[in-house]
Amino acid sequence: MSTDLPVAPASAAVAAITAPESVPAGNPTGTVPRTLSEQSALGGHASRVQRVGRSLPFDDPRHLQAHHWLVDEAWLLDAQAYEDWLDLITEDVHYLMPVRVTTALGAGYDTARGMAHFDEDKYSLSRRVARFLTEHAWTEDPPSRLRHHLSNVRTFQADAPDHLVVESATLLFRNRGDVREGSFVSAGREDLLRLVDGRWKLARRVIMVDDSVMRMQNLAIFL
Amino acid sequence: MTDQTGVIGDVRRGMIPAHVYNDREIFELEKERVFSRAWVFVGHESEIAQPGDYVVRRVLEDSFIVTRDEQGEIRAHFNMCLHRGMQVCRAEVGNASHFRCPYHGWSYRNDGRIVGLPFHKDAYGGEAGFKRKGQRLLPAPNLATYNGMIFLSMDPDAPPLEEFLGDFRFYLDYYTKQSASGIELRGPQRWRVKANWKIGAENFAGDMYHTPQTHTSVVEIGLFREPKAEKRKDGATYWAGAGGGTTYKLPEGDLDERLRYVGYPQEMIERMKEQWSDDQLRVIGDDGFMISAASVYPNLSFVHNWPRVAESDDVLPFVSIRQWQPISEDETEVLSWFAVDAEAPEEFKALSYKAYLMCFGSTGMFEQDDVENWVSLTNTAAGSMARRLLLNSRMGILEDDRPVVPPLGPDAFHGPGEARTGYSEYNQRALLNHWADDLEKPPSKAATLEVGGPGEGAQDAAGRTSANADQISLPAGEAVAQA
Repeated sequence: MSTDLPVAPASAAVAAITAPESVPAGNPTGTVPRTLSEQSALGGHASRVQRVGRSLPFDDPRHLQAHHWLVDEAWLLDAQAYEDWLDLITEDVHYLMPVRVTTALGAGYDTARGMAHFDEDKYSLSRRVARFLTEHAWTEDPPSRLRHHLSNVRTFQADAPDHLVVESATLLFRNRGDVREGSFVSAGREDLLRLVDGRWKLARRVIMVDDSVMRMQNLAIFL
Repeated sequence: MTDQTGVIGDVRRGMIPAHVYNDREIFELEKERVFSRAWVFVGHESEIAQPGDYVVRRVLEDSFIVTRDEQGEIRAHFNMCLHRGMQVCRAEVGNASHFRCPYHGWSYRNDGRIVGLPFHKDAYGGEAGFKRKGQRLLPAPNLATYNGMIFLSMDPDAPPLEEFLGDFRFYLDYYTKQSASGIELRGPQRWRVKANWKIGAENFAGDMYHTPQTHTSVVEIGLFREPKAEKRKDGATYWAGAGGGTTYKLPEGDLDERLRYVGYPQEMIERMKEQWSDDQLRVIGDDGFMISAASVYPNLSFVHNWPRVAESDDVLPFVSIRQWQPISEDETEVLSWFAVDAEAPEEFKALSYKAYLMCFGSTGMFEQDDVENWVSLTNTAAGSMARRLLLNSRMGILEDDRPVVPPLGPDAFHGPGEARTGYSEYNQRALLNHWADDLEKPPSKAATLEVGGPGEGAQDAAGRTSANADQISLPAGEAVAQA
């Protein structure tokens, strides 16, 4: 039934994640176009499985599973149940949140070269989680009130079995104490989910944040 | 404006009126007297490596296009069209041979010279009405570089950058000149924190005392082996010229062993030995001190640490350069760059970047806890009670101003300036004394450019013309208005 639906063009942000990046005119390095995960100095270990075709119908069981997974994950992140969250992540994960920059329309890139907010593997994520579990991570004691609002979920088949590619939008609201105003982070995400021993796990995530200058005191959170 | 003599006097004796961390009048004074004359970091040559590369950076509200022109010269143009004042460049990074104002289409070469002026003949009568030749975007009043670091000063009469930095240059080399090629700068990550800009600068300048408390968690998780209380007070703090910083005391060993201890591979150590002076090498090899955090007045800081980056006992060093860019009395935009020696092996560069991300910057595990403290401090400093409280910033000196610990002698510390081991607030006091010096000094009136005047150029109260006044002679106001 979805074949009757018009195919919307991919958003610029999503295109930047998934489509090989076009080489900007005058690019002195002449590098071969690559995805953001591939371009990262720390992404060498990451899975290169990509989406195939149009988004799956919303009643497709694979879409329902992926959506369910994301809602469950959002709940874990709101609750700061980070050990449980870490269990949902593969050993070869690449968790990347590039720094967005304002560039001219024709520049061909809108992320900082060689710099990200998060450019993580399982080890660095596990250290971040371990820190929150100490009694001395002051930035989250007292804890923030967090709400990850999830929307715009689209699921795609992947070019390898037991994988799905899932796009989503997330809007995180974070509030601390009683005096300061809360702050927001809005981002688009592209996730690679992998079926491991009958459970979906996160194998790659690229977070395209919509701020070039973050309006949050730190990113002691996950998106 | 309130007389701040009392505040300045208190600061000079090491008693800090708490409200200076959230006070609009103080901030207005800082804009007028600190940032109007200091050398302010805006970027590094490696960020604009090719002709036409540019980044747009601010000094307070003033936006500058920092660019490398076609001749390879580094320039900083005030980002305002000479015609109606529109921003001529609205991207923050890119490569351009020209900048064209989107409002009426005036365009400029990347060296600042005007090249395009639509309907020049019809609107202005050509050169007879508006002399296009020689017109250029307003250059920053002063620009200079050291080790590739680009600084601007809003004061055309500022002392030369090297004189301003003074003996701090000795320490700057550790961060930015580990080989003949110097550093590559990546980033910055940018984020805004509801904290006063001075707090970060003071903290990085000399606050070894906070490390064991604030950063307990990163030691507990095995990320960092150093900042235990005992370790930290064995380090030395130093102040020299425009800046000062902290160090860690290294375990026994020779120069090579000590540099390897913090994770430098031998090939990088060999280049350091070629690059650094005997005294720079002795601070590490003989004295056993390794630089860590530092600040240059007013708002530039550095950090050098060496965490674990994988399930292994090996550590990897990283360098970050950061600027505490003031937005208001209670808000700061942090610009945090990762710096790495350009000649370092690629694998080192990648792991050093990983070390940086884990420790500092918008997601860094050290930085997360720092900012929480600074935001809270700033918030608390806003009220009337903060005006009754003088914070004690006299650590390291007795009531009669004698030192708790004497300075290190020349045999124990081979760097310039004054250094001492143990916890103290000498550096925070030194930084705020520079600040007090500036706050006391009335500003000189800046030259103004008379757009639409009779073409005599700009003159200040003393009758001096600005450096570029002879090149700027804009047409009469009527002609501009009709364009």
